[in-house]
Amino acid sequence: MSDGTKQTPAGIDPRGPRFGAAITSVLLLITVFLALDPTTLGAAFGVLLVVTGSFAIGAFFGNSKHPYGFIFKKLVRPRLAAPKELEDPRPPKFAQLVGLLVAGTGVVLYVAGASGALVFAAGAAFIAAFLNAAFAFCLGCQIYVGLQRIGLIKKH
Amino acid sequence: MPLEIRLALVFGLLAVAIAAGLIWRARTGKAKRVSGGEQINLAELAAVKDGKPVVSFGKKVTFLQFSSEFCAACRQTARLYSELEQVHPEILHIEVDITNRIDLANKFNILQTPTTLVLDANGKVTSRIGGAVKQQTIQDEIGSFVI
Repeated sequence: MSDGTKQTPAGIDPRGPRFGAAITSVLLLITVFLALDPTTLGAAFGVLLVVTGSFAIGAFFGNSKHPYGFIFKKLVRPRLAAPKELEDPRPPKFAQLVGLLVAGTGVVLYVAGASGALVFAAGAAFIAAFLNAAFAFCLGCQIYVGLQRIGLIKKH
Repeated sequence: MPLEIRLALVFGLLAVAIAAGLIWRARTGKAKRVSGGEQINLAELAAVKDGKPVVSFGKKVTFLQFSSEFCAACRQTARLYSELEQVHPEILHIEVDITNRIDLANKFNILQTPTTLVLDANGKVTSRIGGAVKQQTIQDEIGSFVI
């Protein structure tokens, strides 16, 4: 029951979250590579922990407080033209939360002894992060309504 | 695991992601004809535009856009329709946020946002557009109606 013009938080440069997603997808691809061999599985866990931590910052504090967002603002954005339009910060925040759940599941299962799950969690999170960085794929657009319809998200 | 196999698996994963992205990009925003489309009931939508309830359809065509809260593409799509509304007075753009309207999401089987239903002058669905819309697609839809 809205016309889409209700008050929204201050806009952010849409290229910021995509820059962060590019770093995240490289880290996750490295995680997959390391997780494929038992001798480097521990290192894979270490990288996945870093990625999970960065998802947690993005999910709870938003892109503006994120280290990648900070790098983007200080080093990348000054070299780019001004953005054509600003974006609502909530969709990328939701995507970070989904990333946190997927990567976090890999971390928890690894600690619980199911170390084989790590490579699948990293692989799934990689695909979402890569699609976001390379194709501007928006996870919130694609799955939020579906999750609500099957009752996984309740909104009053 | 041998290095070659690990590298092959990593590049395979990258290839799968690129293929998925290309397929997604090719499919998103395309208008699909709907035959025997249903009649939209404006009272049920309870749509609001510029602070007023929407009580009539566009003179020629109505773009009924379903959006949700965590949807960046919905904002871009809404902006595009609004711009075209300025130059095409015969069209009407209505945006309905389905975040709190799961009844509508179920009724119209909406899986992704934005999803646009294209309606004729009587409010009957003629096409459906899933995903972010391109300007050319909207213009083609407007051109497909004659009055």
